[in-house]
Amino acid sequence: MPRPEHRTITFTIDGLEVQAPENAMLVDAAKLGDVEIPVFCYEPKLGNPVGACRMCLVEIEGIPKLQTGCSTPVKDGMVVHTQSERVKTAQNSVVEFLLVNHPLDCPVCDKGGECPLQDITFGWGLGTSRFIEPKRHFVKPLALSPTIAIDRERCILCYRCVRFSQEIAEDHQLVLLERGAHSYVATFDGHPYVAPFSGNIVELCPVGALTSQPYRFRARPWDIEDAGSVCTLCPAQCNVTLTVRDERVLRVLARENPEVDDGWLCDRGRFAYPRLGGDERVTQPLLRDGGELRPVSWERALDEAATRLSRAGGRVGALAGGGTTNEEGLLLSRLMREALGSPHLDSRPAGRLALELHRALAEPALQAHVPDLEYAHAVLVLDCDPIADAAILDLRLRKGVRRHGMKLVRAGREQLLDAAARDELLDTLLADLRSVAGNEIVVLWHERLAAGADGERAVRALLDLAATLGLAEIDGAGLLEVPAHANGRGLREAGVLPNAGPELGDTDEDGLDAQGIAAAFALGELSCLYLLGVDPPTGGSGTVIAHAAFLTDALREQADVVFPAEAYPEKEGTVTHPDGRLQRVRRAVRHIGETRDEQQVLDALTSRIGLAVPS
Amino acid sequence: MSAVPRDAHSSTAPGWDTPADLEKDPATIPDPATTPVPDALRAEIEGHMALYPNFRSAILPALEAAQRVHGWCAPEAIEQVACVMRLTPAELDAVATFYDMLETTPVGRHSVYVCTNISCSLCGADELYDAIREAAGDDPEFNVRSFECLGACDIAPMASVDGTYVGPLTLDDVPQLLDDIRAGREVLPDKQLARRPCADSGARS
Amino acid sequence: MTTKLLFDRIDEPGLSTLDVYQRRGGYESLRKALAMPPEAVLHELEASAIRGRGGAGFQMGKKVSFLPKGGMDKYLVCNADESEPGTFKDRELMQKNPHMLIEGIVIAAHAAGATRSFIYIRGEYVLQADILDAALAEARAAGFVGERILGSDTSLSLVVHRGAGAYICGEETGLLDSLEGKRGNPRLKPPFPANQGLYQGPTLINNVETLATVPTIIRIGGAEYAQLGVETSTGTKLVSVSGHVCRPGNYEIELGIPSREIIYGLAGGPPAGRSVKCWFPGGSSSPVLTGDDLDIPYDFDSMAKAGTMLGSGAIIVVDDSTPILDVALKVAKFYRHESCGKCTPCREGTNWTVKMLERIDSGEATPMDIEIMASVQEHIIGNCLCVLGDAMAMPIGSMIAKFRPEFEAHIEAARARAGRVDVLAAVGSGAAGGGALAGAAAGATTAVAAQGAH
Repeated sequence: MPRPEHRTITFTIDGLEVQAPENAMLVDAAKLGDVEIPVFCYEPKLGNPVGACRMCLVEIEGIPKLQTGCSTPVKDGMVVHTQSERVKTAQNSVVEFLLVNHPLDCPVCDKGGECPLQDITFGWGLGTSRFIEPKRHFVKPLALSPTIAIDRERCILCYRCVRFSQEIAEDHQLVLLERGAHSYVATFDGHPYVAPFSGNIVELCPVGALTSQPYRFRARPWDIEDAGSVCTLCPAQCNVTLTVRDERVLRVLARENPEVDDGWLCDRGRFAYPRLGGDERVTQPLLRDGGELRPVSWERALDEAATRLSRAGGRVGALAGGGTTNEEGLLLSRLMREALGSPHLDSRPAGRLALELHRALAEPALQAHVPDLEYAHAVLVLDCDPIADAAILDLRLRKGVRRHGMKLVRAGREQLLDAAARDELLDTLLADLRSVAGNEIVVLWHERLAAGADGERAVRALLDLAATLGLAEIDGAGLLEVPAHANGRGLREAGVLPNAGPELGDTDEDGLDAQGIAAAFALGELSCLYLLGVDPPTGGSGTVIAHAAFLTDALREQADVVFPAEAYPEKEGTVTHPDGRLQRVRRAVRHIGETRDEQQVLDALTSRIGLAVPS
Repeated sequence: MSAVPRDAHSSTAPGWDTPADLEKDPATIPDPATTPVPDALRAEIEGHMALYPNFRSAILPALEAAQRVHGWCAPEAIEQVACVMRLTPAELDAVATFYDMLETTPVGRHSVYVCTNISCSLCGADELYDAIREAAGDDPEFNVRSFECLGACDIAPMASVDGTYVGPLTLDDVPQLLDDIRAGREVLPDKQLARRPCADSGARS
Repeated sequence: MTTKLLFDRIDEPGLSTLDVYQRRGGYESLRKALAMPPEAVLHELEASAIRGRGGAGFQMGKKVSFLPKGGMDKYLVCNADESEPGTFKDRELMQKNPHMLIEGIVIAAHAAGATRSFIYIRGEYVLQADILDAALAEARAAGFVGERILGSDTSLSLVVHRGAGAYICGEETGLLDSLEGKRGNPRLKPPFPANQGLYQGPTLINNVETLATVPTIIRIGGAEYAQLGVETSTGTKLVSVSGHVCRPGNYEIELGIPSREIIYGLAGGPPAGRSVKCWFPGGSSSPVLTGDDLDIPYDFDSMAKAGTMLGSGAIIVVDDSTPILDVALKVAKFYRHESCGKCTPCREGTNWTVKMLERIDSGEATPMDIEIMASVQEHIIGNCLCVLGDAMAMPIGSMIAKFRPEFEAHIEAARARAGRVDVLAAVGSGAAGGGALAGAAAGATTAVAAQGAH
């Protein structure tokens, strides 16, 4: 479907000639001339402007009434005034109206210091109010959900949160009740607002009406620093800003990247941080001693691990996943293949896939990107549950359906595998194509499609489907795989595969895949397992060496050496998005306890085993 | 200015001071298996849904139907509509609380809307409203409300009794009005708008 | 005697049935229109120059011509949410002559190329909605509504949709949202309904009275219709007269006659011994005029020239027994109650205005509050999403401008009553009207004495 294209026009704002894309909203176009038009309800991420708050009134020559800058598309030759007396009076009065019932509890408000209402009152308000009636008061704050508190005194009814619920998440749980000055934001009959993306409303709120329970009263804006990074809790790899105070993450905010997350963040990504920096973390190297894992020095743990790995040699298997970075993947591949001489490493729980299929799937012309999900004529979601597998993609699919009329088709693996059903599926898709008059189709599929005995057949069927639909020849069409692990694509490309080296290169020797490693370890054919960010498979009595941030039951039972692993806010490195985009994970806080840079740990092991670390 | 207790200016709207009950599940689209809907109500709602190019247009008629069954837009009533229409109850509650004729608290069976807007008020509607309220007392059968302009200023002051317009009313009419309602009789037949001729004498020729 | 086009023998028994309506020549205009190409029907509507009877007074023919041509689904919506205080003309039309409205809708839909239509009637009009439903069933059975009407290529579905009590649904885009099953919040314009209205499709929205006039326009011809009334206000108009008049009710007048003729001639003027203090010429949203303005011709342009508007044609008369503050408070409370809450100046401004007026009444105000109140009205006007905010601010502003001394006297009297005499000397005394009003204000302040007008 055609992407928006804009020709550049020239308009005049406050006497300044400014170039802007035609039909950009005045509020956005004005920024190109360094003119700020204040807004509350306007948030382009939420879809069409609603013009409710009236903060952005501007004067446009030739139009008698003041117009809302948030909803007026800029045209060539337009002459706009934002500093005239009329506009100033309107701005002053809107601020005055908004403050009629807004409490002045800024000193104890979490939003204080980073509050658009505060800033706009300062910048565009009169500084005085003629409202002398008592303000309304309500019990506050009230729980809206386990993670969100609502303060109805502070609400300025900008509609952002309810628009998010209706038009972005489409969970339709958060609404405005009653009418006029009695309107208030609420849920049905006192039910909590619990939905996969609910936390976004805290960020959308332009006042302190919606606050994050875990963040309440933890810091003021002048206590904190922002650190940009990438959330590696799932393959969606949303871009985030970490709010850091005293080397602790106190909050996670979305960092808008239209190519990745569209500025949204799921609740898991937003509210997992207390645990990531919490007491349950492994903070020291551990060694099994008399049946128990006990803290030991790094030297002791590294020596022990190196000794056991060397002893096992080619009988070591390695599995990587979680937030393991590309660099760690490369170092693991080197440790296994070059230092230990073992080809048994894997990062795909789905298991072995023939190298030719890996390569066919990686064909550059066949790659779809996240924005393609939005603009495609149709998206086939194949053996994939976006909410569970890469939550933020769910919002992108909804956006495509809602705003661009994208046709969404869901299918399971059986439908693809069964030849008769496959034709039916193709028929459905082709029918959809006819109905949407376009051939840009994206297949969003999950790695699990390729798992098990039928896995290869399923992948071949997928490639056939892609060929039938000609996806490789069409711009904006293609395949997008959601891997099982957050950096599944990066690890695959780093060579953490049993049958391929870095960049899907040939290997000298084929190794065992994930299931093969588990089986061989259980049978004692492999005597040592090396784990990066994954749990040990059940069975086997050999040595288990693991990098882990949390001690799971399986590790507690089976691990012999545990290195404390970094949570992503402590990590430095790169990860690869499922659509091939290289993203940088940046260290935001220092290591917790004795945790070390995992790349250094891998290096240290490699050199102990006897392979020089390249400088 | 007199001293005002901190919470004295709370809105009359229910809910402002109520937190969410964190023990409850989120209010998603009701499960038909656990949300029984009376057959007649379901049929009526589905009938309305079929009338419109977009079934959502049936929300108002559906809520009105549910209110007729339940007496008011009780949470249970809203859940039933939500179940039939496959919408979240919150979406319907947002609509129900917007409109004056949809009751979101329990009310008496017989509605008496007394217009107290400008024209009726000029003709004594405020006293009339007070008198009807007083006469109805705490009889749970009655839902006496002061209403905005009902579009019958020619019979000011007036009231809409279960949808029937009567006026002009005097304070003396009040006992009869309530008696008629209680007895299930036609309300003040001589004062019903339905029987009133056009004021324009030219229209009669 | 004014020509009666809409009210012609309106009380004839059985007129609401198809039989009587047809016996009187009903649905003949439809036959005539269906035989004409849509452009020709549109031409007649344009020639009639009829202006919308709902309140905005926009030319109906132009509105129809704004609809895009082409085969997309187009809609016609009849606005029967008659909620403007003082207005009750559509009620009488729908109740007594429903087929005339249905006929008008089918003709207008033919001209506009609409294939689906709706009558959005306010929920309070139970009787009228029932009558419309019955009439619609008759019309459908007789083939005047439905597929291939009277064997022509024109098809139209029609649904009577009942509202549930919200003034704002009379605003055309609020009505559309309400009809789509949402809260009746007005939409941002542009886009206008003619381009993106109901279900995002091109939509023609017209008032009951406007559509009910269409059969007449087709029958007598647009040019002939335009002969009635005055140049820019053609035709006849229903006016609803209420408040302090002896014969309240609906009257069909030719536009352009002196207002006095309506208020005194037709409606009998205020009760004996009283005089007109102020009057709303077009519903409670129109700025008030005073007893000095009775000779202004009653038409769109003359009213606009006098700083007010013809609006829905609802004249509310207030006589000299009523304190202006009571009128202002009623009006302001109404708009506060009906504000949808979407945009800031309306939601907060109506609320604030009511609080200030209440403070005046309780003796807690000073004359400075009048300045603030006037300024708040100015800040509302023109800055809102729809016209509801203006609909309060304009009449309140006009009352302050025209009755300032009375407001000041009211403040003074209320303060005295509340035992707040301290600052009065500094403020200066209220001037004209103070004496009489102090008495009025000292009595029941919000209650208006029953006038026994009936």
